[in-house]
Amino acid sequence: MDLASDTAPNRAALCADLASASARGQRMRIVGGGSGGRRGRVPHTESDVISTRTFDRIISHEPADLVATVEAGVAVADLQAALALHGQTWIQAPTTPHSTVGGVLARAESGLRRLRYGAIRDSVLQVVAITGDGRLIQAGGKTVKGVAGYDIPRLMVGAYGTLGVIVEVTLKLWPIPPSSQWFTAEGSTETLTQRGEQIRREIHQPGAIITSADRLWVELIGPSADLVAPDGMHAGEPPPALAGAGRIDIGVGPAQLPGLVTALARRGYTFQAQLGVGTCTVIFDDLTHLNEIRQLAIDAGGHATIADAPDELRNDPWGPPPAGIALMQRLKTACDPALILNHGQFIGDLEGAR
Amino acid sequence: MRRSGARGNLADMSAVVTASAIDRFREVVGSERVLTAHIELLLYAKDGSMNQGDCGVAVLCETTHEVAACMRIAADHDLAVVPRGSGTSLAGSAIPLDGSVVISVARMNRVLSIDVETPCAWVEPGVLNLDLTTAVSHLGLHYAPDPSSQAACSIGGNVATNAGGPHCLASGVTSQHILGLEIVLPDGDILTIGGPAPDPAGYDLRGFIVGGEGTLGIVTKVCVKLTRNPPVVRTMLADFSSLTAAGKAVRDIIAQGVIPAAMEMMDSTMTRAVEAFVHAGLPTESAAVLLVELDGTAAHVSEHTHVVERICRESGANHIRVAADEQERALLWKARKNAFGACARIAPNYYLHDCVVPRTRLVEVLAAIEEIAKRHDLVIMNVFHAGDGNLHPLISFDRRDAEQVTRVLAAGNDIITVCMNAGGTLSGEHGIGMEKRDFMPLQFGVADLDAQARCREAFDPEGRMNPRKVLPAGSKCGDLAFPHEHLPEGTWI
Repeated sequence: MDLASDTAPNRAALCADLASASARGQRMRIVGGGSGGRRGRVPHTESDVISTRTFDRIISHEPADLVATVEAGVAVADLQAALALHGQTWIQAPTTPHSTVGGVLARAESGLRRLRYGAIRDSVLQVVAITGDGRLIQAGGKTVKGVAGYDIPRLMVGAYGTLGVIVEVTLKLWPIPPSSQWFTAEGSTETLTQRGEQIRREIHQPGAIITSADRLWVELIGPSADLVAPDGMHAGEPPPALAGAGRIDIGVGPAQLPGLVTALARRGYTFQAQLGVGTCTVIFDDLTHLNEIRQLAIDAGGHATIADAPDELRNDPWGPPPAGIALMQRLKTACDPALILNHGQFIGDLEGAR
Repeated sequence: MRRSGARGNLADMSAVVTASAIDRFREVVGSERVLTAHIELLLYAKDGSMNQGDCGVAVLCETTHEVAACMRIAADHDLAVVPRGSGTSLAGSAIPLDGSVVISVARMNRVLSIDVETPCAWVEPGVLNLDLTTAVSHLGLHYAPDPSSQAACSIGGNVATNAGGPHCLASGVTSQHILGLEIVLPDGDILTIGGPAPDPAGYDLRGFIVGGEGTLGIVTKVCVKLTRNPPVVRTMLADFSSLTAAGKAVRDIIAQGVIPAAMEMMDSTMTRAVEAFVHAGLPTESAAVLLVELDGTAAHVSEHTHVVERICRESGANHIRVAADEQERALLWKARKNAFGACARIAPNYYLHDCVVPRTRLVEVLAAIEEIAKRHDLVIMNVFHAGDGNLHPLISFDRRDAEQVTRVLAAGNDIITVCMNAGGTLSGEHGIGMEKRDFMPLQFGVADLDAQARCREAFDPEGRMNPRKVLPAGSKCGDLAFPHEHLPEGTWI
C-alpha cells in the first residue's frame, strides 16, 4: 500500500477547498469524465466545479490477490487495459466511453455481464472519500473479504457524489474469461422473451441475456465446449448502444420483466432489457413518454430513473422519493452537513426543506 | 441519564428495565413470552462468543408489529435494545450489556413466499440458514452463503453480521444475496427497503443495514436471492507435508485464473481432531489438508479440475482424493463444517479469530501464527477459508485456568497485530461485536471511525440499539475516552 497517497497534495487541497466551501455554503458540482453529465437534475449554475481528473493514478495492482487500488479519475478504459496485461478485468464495469472509475461508481452503473457477475457495487472493497465538510475518510478494507465497520462503501456507490467525493477505491477483480461468444436471433417480442427466459433456466450462468422488441442477444462464457449456439440462435455481435434523445433506466423484479417488455413493445418503444437482472433501458424523447414508462415500471413493482436526457426532459429524473428518505436525509447531513455536494441534483427532498 | 448519540460507549447507561416496562411488554406479547427468571436471563445474556452480558428482560416476538410495539415501549422507557436471532455470534454481537432488553426474533421463522422465476424468497429473520436451502432444494435452488454454523444460525443473524461461509469465495458474502428487507427502526417505525427490483433511486440503505450488527434497528423480513444449483460439482481433497506448500497451491490456483466455488484449509492438529470426530478418512499425518470444490458446467469443471490437480502436484501434494459421489462429498464437508465442534476434544473452550489477509501473505502469516502458539505455549489450530485469505486461528484453552486465559488474550492480540501488519482486515465474516471492537483503531483512523459513528447515528440518534458494539469508545469526535476497566463484568477481551 502506498501510504503516501493519503497525504497526496491534491487530496489535501480538495479537503481544504471543501471545508472552506462548506463554511461558506458554496455549492460544489463533481465532474469526472463528463460521461454521466446528463443524469440527475440540471445542476445549479452557481455551483463551483470539482474535477476528479487529477486523481489519475493506478496506485497498485496485485494480480495474485485479484485486487487493484486506483484513484477515481482514472478512465475505466485505461484501468481495464492495465489489468488486461495480467489477464484480469473489473468485470462488473460498463464500457461507457470516457467514463472514470469514480463516475461509474457514483452512478452505480453495472456492465452487460451483471447476470453472471453481479452488480458493480459488489466489486468495491474499500473507498477513500472526502466528505462535504472536507474530511478524508476511508471505509471498508483492502482484502477480498471483510466486514469490519459499517458498509459506507455501499452507501457511496450510487450516491451520485452527494455523500462525498470518491478519490480512491480498491476493487475486487476477476480473471478475464478465456473465451466467450455472443449469439443473436430475431423474432417477435413474446417469442424472444420466452426464449430468453428458457435459456436463463437451462444454461448455467450465461453472461447476459438481452432482448429488444425484435432481437435477442445471449452471451455465453466458459470453455469453448460450452460456447454452443442455443437453438435458433447464431453467432453475432453484442447489442449496439441505444441512441435517442434520452434514456430511462427501469428496474423491476426479474419475474416482472417479460411482462414489462411486452408492454413497452406494444407501445412502440425502443429498449434493451437484461433478462434475469430486471433492468431495462428505454429511449424517450418527451415527457409524456417518461410518465407512461415510469407508470409501467411502478405498476410492475419497480421504478424508472432518467439515465441521460437533455435539460428540458430532466425536471423529474428520479421519480417519487424512495422508501427511507428520512434516513437518507440524515445520512446526507452526517456526511455533507452544509449540503453543498451536487446540491439539488439527486433524489427529491434529499436536502430537506433547506 | 441519556446517552448523547450512537457512540453508545460511555458509562452513562440506559434506564433500568422497570416493572411498568415489563407490564407493557406483557400486554403486547403475553406474559409467557416475556422472560424475567434469573436462569432465563443468564441464557439470553450469552451468545456463541465467550462473553457473559447482563440481560434485563427477554421478549420473544412473533410478528413485525410485536417488534415495533416493543421498540416503542423501549423508546418510551429509554431502554437499550439488543436484537437476537439464534445467538450464535462469535464476536459478542448478540450480548446484552447493563440490563438491556433482548428482543428475540427466533420465533419468526416462516418462509413467507418463494418466487421461482427471479429466483428469490421473502423470509422471516428467525429462519435457519440451512432450513432455507432445504425449503427450496426441491426447486433446484439454494441460498448461497453457507456459514459453518448454518444448521443453527438464522438469516436475521446472517444479515446482521454480513455472514460468509466456504462458498462465498466465488458467490460473495451475505450482502450480495440480500435483495431487500423490512426493518423496525429504534423509534418503532417499520420500513421496507428494496426487493427484487434492482437499483432503486437513493442511497443503498439495504447494503448499509447488512452487517449493521443490530445497531441500526431490528430486521423483521428479508428478501433473499436464491441461486440455481450448478449442474456439476466436484470436491477434491489434497494433502501436503507443509503449510507452506498448501499455501503456495492456494496462491497459484487463484493466480492461474481459477476461482473455485470453495477452497478451505486445515492444519494437522485440526485435521486429527476432526477425523477422530467425523471419521471421514482424512490424512491425519499430513501437515495441511486442502479442500477444493469446483462447480459449473461439465466442461468448465473438467478444465479447472486439471488445473487444480496440476498445481497441487507441482506444489508437492502427497495425495489428491476426488469425492466419488454425493455421499463422500457430504462427508468431506461434514468434516470441514464440524471442525469447531471437534475442538472440544482438545480443550473445553476456544477463542476464534477471523482476520483476512491478502492471499499472497497467507504462508508467512500462518508461519507467524505457529510462532505465536509456541511463544505463548498454546495450542492454536487452523481451519479457514484459504481461497479468500480469511483465517480462523482457533486458540484452544480451559477458561477455568486464569493464567492460561491471560496467555490466550496475549496470543490473540499478537495474531491480530500480525494480520493487520500484513495488510489484513479485522473480520472477514463474524463481525466486530464486542470482541474486536477495541481493535478497530488498528484498521480505521479517527476520521474514519467518526464517519461510521455519524452514519450509525442517522439510524439511531439516541444510541439505544445494541450499545457499545462495533465502534470503540470515543469514535464520535468529542467523545471521552473509555477506560478499559469500565467494561462490564464477564467481558474478557
